[in-house]
Amino acid sequence: MNEMVSAHLIGLSSDMAIMSLLALSAYLLLLVGKVSFGQQAFFGLGAYASGVMSAMFHAPLMFALAFGMGVGALCSWLVALPTMSLSGLNYAVATLAFGEMARVALSLWHWQIDLGDGLVGPAAIDGFRDIRWLHENDVSPVQYFAITVFVLVCILILMLRSERTRLGVALRMTGQDETLAATQGIDVGRLRLFIAAVAGALAALGGGLYAHRTTYIEPAIFDPMLGVHAVGYALLGGIGTALGPLVGVLFDLGLLDATHWFSGWRMVIFGGLVALFLRWRPRGFLDERLVHRFGSIFGSKGYS
Amino acid sequence: MRSGIVANTRVWVVAGMAMLVPFSLFAQTGERAQLGLQCVSYGAGPMLDCLVELKRKDGSSLDNAQVTLGALMPSMPMAHTIKPVRATSTGKPGQYQGTLALEMPGIWTVDVEVNGPLRDKVGQNLMVNACKGDTRCTAAPAKPGEKSPPHGHGKGHGGS
Repeated sequence: MNEMVSAHLIGLSSDMAIMSLLALSAYLLLLVGKVSFGQQAFFGLGAYASGVMSAMFHAPLMFALAFGMGVGALCSWLVALPTMSLSGLNYAVATLAFGEMARVALSLWHWQIDLGDGLVGPAAIDGFRDIRWLHENDVSPVQYFAITVFVLVCILILMLRSERTRLGVALRMTGQDETLAATQGIDVGRLRLFIAAVAGALAALGGGLYAHRTTYIEPAIFDPMLGVHAVGYALLGGIGTALGPLVGVLFDLGLLDATHWFSGWRMVIFGGLVALFLRWRPRGFLDERLVHRFGSIFGSKGYS
Repeated sequence: MRSGIVANTRVWVVAGMAMLVPFSLFAQTGERAQLGLQCVSYGAGPMLDCLVELKRKDGSSLDNAQVTLGALMPSMPMAHTIKPVRATSTGKPGQYQGTLALEMPGIWTVDVEVNGPLRDKVGQNLMVNACKGDTRCTAAPAKPGEKSPPHGHGKGHGGS
């Protein structure tokens, strides 16, 4: 295979894996009945936090990503504390407002230190360059892609396994009818706060992986369209299973964007399909009914 | 129900830490490349023709490097995937040239990936405009906070 085509495919696949993490974070909140248009903020905070740790303090990538996840989880939990009790539309607007607030804050954040080779760190609206962990540690794009996919697969396995546990049932019950869930002994408020923190950590992990892949981030990357796409992927792919958001990402980035078959019409097709699905399949392509049908065919227990 | 959820939380935390282990398996090396980038846009797409000058930290030219050019739109991360191209040596010390086929005018981050004598990746934000006819327009470094024009409405701002 042509070397450049191979590099392109590796880059595209890495982007799809990273975007899947952001879509999964939006999916988790959809499961508990909340639509967040602010997940891009945690993606950005994770990108900056992990970039600061690896580029400015030479922390190992494992620690940098874990730190980014911690920052994402903490910020998401703090945002959820006053907003999670809001009704659907108000919560969506509140998360959108937080997303913009975080983006503006990042565009004002200037903190650079001289490491001998020049200044490194967030430079306000100019962004954060030289997040060079992969290059300093001689990690090839293929190796990094393998690591990114490994992380995504581990998270998927965890989420798919959780779907059959009491936690998974509690999530869906809360999303479908929070009053009924509360009468069943589920602490809806605490469960939603926990899920907000996990969703924030997942988005931040995606951001950390993205920052180290591109070596360069800037506040403009984390604009509301990124968050809207994350929700769109989950809604289009389906919230019947954790595989749904991946279907959404594959469809948009893998089919509409990468193939250029619908050049210029990509957003029209994607937006139109999301609108159609909201009308005809409100829980997406892989909704609970379809997952249950697959489960019946393949002999595993589906949702009832 | 709550104890089950708490138990699951522990599994998530332990599994999350375990999956990060592969990231700690690499050792540190590296030197940074100094980048000079000049690009002009032309034709449909537009096309972006870039001249790359690479130097080492001591100011000497960086020769015999494998240079790959890529581009992404900061306002649409992970979308508008542009096929990377190999920049070839122009014959002058440390100078390479390559042409990217972009999808639309606007602000693009042009990535220069260097392999060979050293490994690095450096990028620069450029405002790429659509040029009418046969003119070639300089893609100037994007100003901080500058935004892309609406799709398909980029204007030429002078030939080179």
